[in-house]
Amino acid sequence: MLSRHAEALFWFGRYLERAEDTSRMLDVTYHNLLESPPTEEAAAWHELLEVLFVDQAFGGRRLDAPGVTHYLVTDADNPGSIVCSVGRARENAFGVRDRISTELWEAINQFHLDLQSWDVAGDLERQPYGVFRTVRNRCQMIAGVASQTMPRDDGYRFILLGLMLERAEMACRLLAVRYARLLHAGRPMSFQAWLAVLKSVSAYEAYLKSHDASFDPTRVLEFLLLSPSFPRSVLFSLRVAEAQLDRLAGAEDGAHLIRLMGRVRARAEFCDIDDVLVTGLDQFLESLQGEIYDVAQLVDRYFFRAGTDLELHAYQAT
Amino acid sequence: MLDSRAGIETQFSEVYGADGVYPHYKALMARLEVLGEDDLAHRSRLLESIFRSLGITFGLSGDEEGRERTWPMDLVPRIIPPGEWAHVEAGLVQRVRALNLFLDDLYVGEQAVLNDGIVPRWIVESAAGYMREAYGVPAPLGSRCVVAGIDIVRDGQGVYRVLEDNLRVPSGISYVLENRVAMTRVLPLAFEHHRVRPVNHYGSSLLAALRAISPTAAAGEPTIVVLTPGVANSAYFEHAFLARQMGVELVEGRDLIVDDHVVFMRTTRGLQRVDVIYRRLNDEFLDPVVFRSDSLLGVPGLVAAARAGNVSIANAIGNGAADDKGVYPFVPDLISFYLGEEAVLPNVTTYLPWEPDQRQVIMDRLDRLVFKPVAEAGGYGIVIGPTASDETLAATAAAIEADPRGFIAQEVVQLSTHPTAFDGRLSPRHIDLRPFVLSGEDIEVIPGGLTRVALPEGSLIVNSSQGGGSKDTWVLEGDAT
Amino acid sequence: MRIKIRYESAFEYPEAVRESHNVLRACPADDEHQTVHRYEVHVAPTGRIQSYRDYWGTRVDSFGIRRPHGSLVVSAEADVTTGERPAPKPGAPMSRYGSDAVVLGHHSYLQRSPHADWSEDLGDEARDTIGGLDTAVEAVVALHDHVADVIDYAPGATYVGMDVNDVRRRRKGVCQDFAHLAIAMYRSAGIPARYVSGYLYAADQTVAVAPEIAEIINATHAWVEAFVPGFGWWGIDPTNPTPVGELHVKIGHGRDYDDVMPLRGVYHGPADHKLGVSVTMSREQLSQAQSQQQQ
Repeated sequence: MLSRHAEALFWFGRYLERAEDTSRMLDVTYHNLLESPPTEEAAAWHELLEVLFVDQAFGGRRLDAPGVTHYLVTDADNPGSIVCSVGRARENAFGVRDRISTELWEAINQFHLDLQSWDVAGDLERQPYGVFRTVRNRCQMIAGVASQTMPRDDGYRFILLGLMLERAEMACRLLAVRYARLLHAGRPMSFQAWLAVLKSVSAYEAYLKSHDASFDPTRVLEFLLLSPSFPRSVLFSLRVAEAQLDRLAGAEDGAHLIRLMGRVRARAEFCDIDDVLVTGLDQFLESLQGEIYDVAQLVDRYFFRAGTDLELHAYQAT
Repeated sequence: MLDSRAGIETQFSEVYGADGVYPHYKALMARLEVLGEDDLAHRSRLLESIFRSLGITFGLSGDEEGRERTWPMDLVPRIIPPGEWAHVEAGLVQRVRALNLFLDDLYVGEQAVLNDGIVPRWIVESAAGYMREAYGVPAPLGSRCVVAGIDIVRDGQGVYRVLEDNLRVPSGISYVLENRVAMTRVLPLAFEHHRVRPVNHYGSSLLAALRAISPTAAAGEPTIVVLTPGVANSAYFEHAFLARQMGVELVEGRDLIVDDHVVFMRTTRGLQRVDVIYRRLNDEFLDPVVFRSDSLLGVPGLVAAARAGNVSIANAIGNGAADDKGVYPFVPDLISFYLGEEAVLPNVTTYLPWEPDQRQVIMDRLDRLVFKPVAEAGGYGIVIGPTASDETLAATAAAIEADPRGFIAQEVVQLSTHPTAFDGRLSPRHIDLRPFVLSGEDIEVIPGGLTRVALPEGSLIVNSSQGGGSKDTWVLEGDAT
Repeated sequence: MRIKIRYESAFEYPEAVRESHNVLRACPADDEHQTVHRYEVHVAPTGRIQSYRDYWGTRVDSFGIRRPHGSLVVSAEADVTTGERPAPKPGAPMSRYGSDAVVLGHHSYLQRSPHADWSEDLGDEARDTIGGLDTAVEAVVALHDHVADVIDYAPGATYVGMDVNDVRRRRKGVCQDFAHLAIAMYRSAGIPARYVSGYLYAADQTVAVAPEIAEIINATHAWVEAFVPGFGWWGIDPTNPTPVGELHVKIGHGRDYDDVMPLRGVYHGPADHKLGVSVTMSREQLSQAQSQQQQ
């Protein structure tokens, strides 16, 4: 398929997942703060912005729940806000309208139009949870439409690749937000806090089926990072991404890309969670994130750019 | 004087003759009568909702915000009986054949037509669409106008006349196909009493024509693409539509690269060679190496690749030399020069002010003629005699005296009228016709074409960007006699 | 005169260029008064060159390079014999310029073009300059002399593509400006004129004699051909007082610079680049056999 189409499909997947994950992280932070002393609020929001790499861009805005939720959900100045991400996902889908199913186009287009007409800002003040839940549901619905209506060809694989790389990266960040706070606070998380983390990634029920309800922090972490069967774990996401790349990249010149992807997945798969906790979870998550980023960069160079990333200039010589 | 005055006021009705409804319209008009006003109004609304839900729209010219309007289609189809169509078809084939020969003569031939003075050299040299950069670029089979849209009108006597040739990137065929599909849904019973010639083979006919002009260098099955300026273009819908109909890739300039004078498209599995490009991008944007160097829509090196015979570009570069206003009056002469035949379809009567005797005719009848500046494109500077003020006419006369080669003058053409539905009631409106002609191995005319309707009462402006509508156009099966 | 010419354009880029496409017009024309013995184009890094004659009859070499490169050197070597070009005798009256044969036969050389788009004032100036003159030759010479008088040769004072009316106001320019100004004035007065691109065998573009030294380094040159009824195209050089002849090596002609510019192209890469253009010319020593043949 055309590199330009592949790129649009890849980014469609990424932006869709980004919108969903942003709403999840907001949700975790927001609800944990309900049980925390008010003095921690500013620090918690700042950490969230840091993890999303937008703390600089956030600048001097109000560092509280309304300020940050507005910035991350509706702010047009924040290219990573949910409204912008959905807009970008829709824009990319528009560029490949002929390549995706009509149902998928209608689903993303309608979501985008709804976000434009719906008073998101008002609802965020009244009932933030409702907003987060709606965004999550709609994103899941759109991903479902994709999987139900798209043939399993390269086009679908690029959507899935984008979605899974974004999810793996964001899952690392999500864990980083929560555990960073835990480590810095130096006190155990409450039962309610664990419940929130698991619920926010729709993992509560899945976790209970494989573990008991004692919520050993190590086991929860292991589940979210390394579960081979839970579809939002880091390992699961990396495996799905790897499976797509195996099919997409040519055996010869794609070998480098496939090798890099395999290395990242193996690093997650074969890590020892107890060792990681001893040597430093935050460093581990950070370097894993970095490697996932490298894979995405290489995907970009290998499939999409192929030497056209430079501007065109005209000259004359006498 | 009196005669020409009368000519202006006569309007030819497509449906009603001196003896009532023409035979080929009887069944349709009877059917519409049975349905009644309310039902017709309902079906018109249904038609609109079909186009809206399919997202079939067009960009309004001059709309800064790029708003789009739902494609307006009228409920009442236009019917062309087999005999009439055979005449039109023969005229179109003949005309396009001559235009192809003319363009080949200009770009890769001896320019015999200029050397023999059939068309004055200065006319061609001053045509904005004459691309000297394309001199020497071959077009396989001489099929330079792979897709031609020839605008035809009927004068007061019902004579089919060519108003304008569109040989660069004519648009509108997607509406022809969509109109037909919508019509079969909204007025299915009307089809029962007619054998209407299908139009849905357009995609495969176009594909066949594009295959036919594939360069000989192409090995095996040629790879064909549609090149679009992008989603921002007002005809993007049609570009995507055509790519889908042909089952080929819709590409933008940035998808293509040229390596050693061979064109490739960038795919996720590496570079894939491209043999034929059906481009919907104007000449001056095609290749910044030879045309506008600031164009980012085109493909650097494309013209050199075409010159090397490694890729075929449809329509060929520089076709604007043949659909130029100044060249138009000479098309009947081209037909006789290249084919030794008389033109089947006449032009609208045109006067050339640089010929002294014709200039006299013009000066005597300033208030009866239409004046078109030769060098201007897009309808700029047109003066319509019957509606112009005395000052304007005087200024036009002075301008013509000062620069007789700057203008051509034409008789005012009164377009024919056709019943058109408004809230279930039928009322006559002016129409024209743009048939589509394909040049590949042979020349093929798609039955009918796009009938455009001037919706405001009395208006002669059929352009969809200026409030025009459209009709499904039925060419009936049957003997041509 | 037998002359060897080496044209070279050398590009240096601060970062690698990924891809470039280029069109070169550096080959001397083969016509009645000029014979090309040899012409070769070299490109480094190499690319496949496609050569053809364009609409104006000029040889074009077109090539693309599609791999990363930090520099590009385009060079063309020619070996050419030039001869004197005859000048017209005064004969044809000015009125011949109004005839259909001239007006229609040379229509494109009478129109405005991007680099020869004259203002009303410039047109008046041209008509004033030739007012009262009877013959075509006198008019052509008068406008030539006028342009040579009003413009001072000043490298760096203008850029290619500068409006001719600005050139006239600033009274400074290089050979392209002299040529465009002359063309604009000729055309405004109804005299068909075309732009000529070429080489001048002179150490200084404004000096009229062949250099003493064997090899000189200069730049490409530009002059004008004006149409004289009953004679044809007459080469005339407003930058240099010498008649167009043995020292002038013509590449080709067109409506203006755009039709015959020596090298143009596009590339994917950094906006900045360094470009050095040089033309090296030398007189070939005639072998004994050749000089005997010439006698």
